[in-house]
Amino acid sequence: MSIEKGRISGSQLLFMFAGFVQGSALLVDFTIGITEQQSWMVILAGLVMMVPFILSYAALAKRFHGKNLVQINDMVYGRFLGKVLSLYYIFFLSMTLSFNILDVGELYKNFLMPDTPFIFLLAVFAAACAYAVAKGIEVLARVSHLFVITGIFVIVSTFILLIDQMDFSNFLPLFELPLIRIIQGIHILSAIPYGETLVFFMIMGRLNNTERAAGYALGGLLIGAMNLLAVSVRNTAVLGRTQSIWTSASFQSIRLIDIGTVLTRMDFLIGIAQTILIFFKCSLFFYALATALSQLFGLKSYLPLILPLAGIEVILAATVFQSPVDHAVITQNAGIIYSSPLIYVFPPLTLLIAKIRSLPGHERGGGT
Amino acid sequence: MREKTGVIITAMLLCVFMVFALSGCLGGREINDLEIVIGMGVDKDEKTGDILLTAQIVNEDASGRTQGSSGGGEGKAYWNVSSTGESIFEAVRKLTHKTGNRLFVSHNQVVIFGNDIAAEGLQKYIDFFLRAHEMRPTVLILVAEGRASDIMDAKPETEKFPAMNIAKLVKTYGYTSHLYKVNMKDFASCQMSAETASFAPLITVSEEEGSKDVFVPGMAVFKNGKMVGKLNHDEVRGVLWVLGKVKSGVITVPSPDGGGKAILEIIEAKSKATPEIKDSKIIIHVMVEVELSLSEQTTAENLATVPAFGKIQDASEEVVRKEIMAAFKKTSELKADIFGFSEMLHKKYSKEWKSMKDNWDDIYPTIELDIDVASRVVTTNLLRNPASPKEGEK
Repeated sequence: MSIEKGRISGSQLLFMFAGFVQGSALLVDFTIGITEQQSWMVILAGLVMMVPFILSYAALAKRFHGKNLVQINDMVYGRFLGKVLSLYYIFFLSMTLSFNILDVGELYKNFLMPDTPFIFLLAVFAAACAYAVAKGIEVLARVSHLFVITGIFVIVSTFILLIDQMDFSNFLPLFELPLIRIIQGIHILSAIPYGETLVFFMIMGRLNNTERAAGYALGGLLIGAMNLLAVSVRNTAVLGRTQSIWTSASFQSIRLIDIGTVLTRMDFLIGIAQTILIFFKCSLFFYALATALSQLFGLKSYLPLILPLAGIEVILAATVFQSPVDHAVITQNAGIIYSSPLIYVFPPLTLLIAKIRSLPGHERGGGT
Repeated sequence: MREKTGVIITAMLLCVFMVFALSGCLGGREINDLEIVIGMGVDKDEKTGDILLTAQIVNEDASGRTQGSSGGGEGKAYWNVSSTGESIFEAVRKLTHKTGNRLFVSHNQVVIFGNDIAAEGLQKYIDFFLRAHEMRPTVLILVAEGRASDIMDAKPETEKFPAMNIAKLVKTYGYTSHLYKVNMKDFASCQMSAETASFAPLITVSEEEGSKDVFVPGMAVFKNGKMVGKLNHDEVRGVLWVLGKVKSGVITVPSPDGGGKAILEIIEAKSKATPEIKDSKIIIHVMVEVELSLSEQTTAENLATVPAFGKIQDASEEVVRKEIMAAFKKTSELKADIFGFSEMLHKKYSKEWKSMKDNWDDIYPTIELDIDVASRVVTTNLLRNPASPKEGEK
């Protein structure tokens, strides 16, 4: 039994992947304090490191055509262990979604609407995501290219407007930082913008054709990573060593745009772009969470879960951290630890077990 | 059907509710309630030792900025208002005791630090300006030779607002390249390096025949946030030659016949500084390329000849070399690496840099500069020959 009837095409998957990774553009700042001028390398190294894992996600989608994560877990690990693992995934989806909603709230609180009640910002954003999720995956997939194009437009235009202020010697010396910091940076990057793409476990099952899923997924990942790279290069080239002191390096570099004292105060650009991109990312997270939960509980539709889940996520986002410092420290340290098994261990393990047990050949599928 | 109507009504109610909450009016401030700040001065209060903050606020009625008033009313177009506090933020908020409204600093152009504050160190005073929401990272920094509040009071003849006038003075540095504009972000960047020194334009008030004029006599040099010395105009240009920041300016050289002067305008300047470590000696190779135009001459000799051009070019190259050496000599005395040589070495010789880092103050004056200047006179403007009798007719 499947709780989603919608179908998506390969190219839509590509844009969804790209838009999802782009949605983490602000989160690139997480690594700046650790990897400083070498952040661009970490983005590329993280991408390379994630390729085999993304391939394992796509291989699972191909092997279990039409099945979602909860169904795959049930089939591979059995009803009990499978459900425990699915709960672990749901915990990850739920926490990460609340952190992302909180990111939007902090963006607005810090830079755009400091006097608006925080909880209201979170609630409105979550409501918008809930509306998108209620429309189904097909609608999100159909508009995914618009999100990607908007993101690319803002990133490219701000890059061009800041070219005169860029100093490419800010990237030197090239290999100065201790290896441990680079490894930590790669871990954060691969776990947050790239690793979070495991939400597509709940989406790839809806592909028309899973034969070329790996190609589309990697293509989308590459487009998203190139955007992150452009953001990181822009910030380092413009801000130099100060990039690590700002709450948001991207926001600060865009505030420096000054073309003939006429084209200034472009802060709104990043406000719009970031809201749109995080909205897309959160909607996909929300969709994955709602469908995974309803699959777990054996519901016929995920729609009844949307509003209660939105409420829970807003409350989580508003209460889970005491301060932005808390948020950054826990996400950089604890966050990437609890998500690591889900990103790096279980997908390849599931694939291995499925191969050994020749699944899904002997299963009747369905699970719950 | 009933269910669908319910959803539509709920959605419409939600939209109406959102119009009130998300219109941005929640933190909205009407223009007539804004105290628009265009300049700020930071001094030490002589009595208490607290911070004395002076904000230059636009007087909307007098400056004719509000609707209904035409061309401004009576009185000054600005209002310099001061308050004291233990911190800049406290002083800013305490200004509301006098203004009645919170300050709006988004349009602030300049922050001027008094001499006493600069000598004490700017590190702790710039934090507020970097951290505040409304403050732009592009706001310009200056250092007053005396008190910042006096500078803010010197009303220019052609500008309505002293702060705007000061900002204009600094932004047009390129006409002479005798100073350089430094904004909050650039200054913060230099502050973050323990080895690189930073600089900011100095500003002073000169009083002639009862009128007060502001004047930039050079730049203040900062080391670890504290002002340690000053550079005069030529020394500043010496620094800018190496940094590649010279835009334009005037170079005066004696004419080849010795009977007058050739005055040259800098059309374009490019430079490249490359560090080299040779036999444990640090050499900085500075390559400067200058394009000049003959803008004026005070001799009857025709300077638009190949031999004369050669001599003028040689002389101008010597001027550039002297300016660079003068700047290096002064900063060596101050042990202040204003050129950023430490940064260049760090980037090119990161391994060797580790051993130099701790002794950089002692190493800096021992650096050898290898200066190579190539100048070219590219135009004589509207005259081919000077307006004087030809050689044979004298």
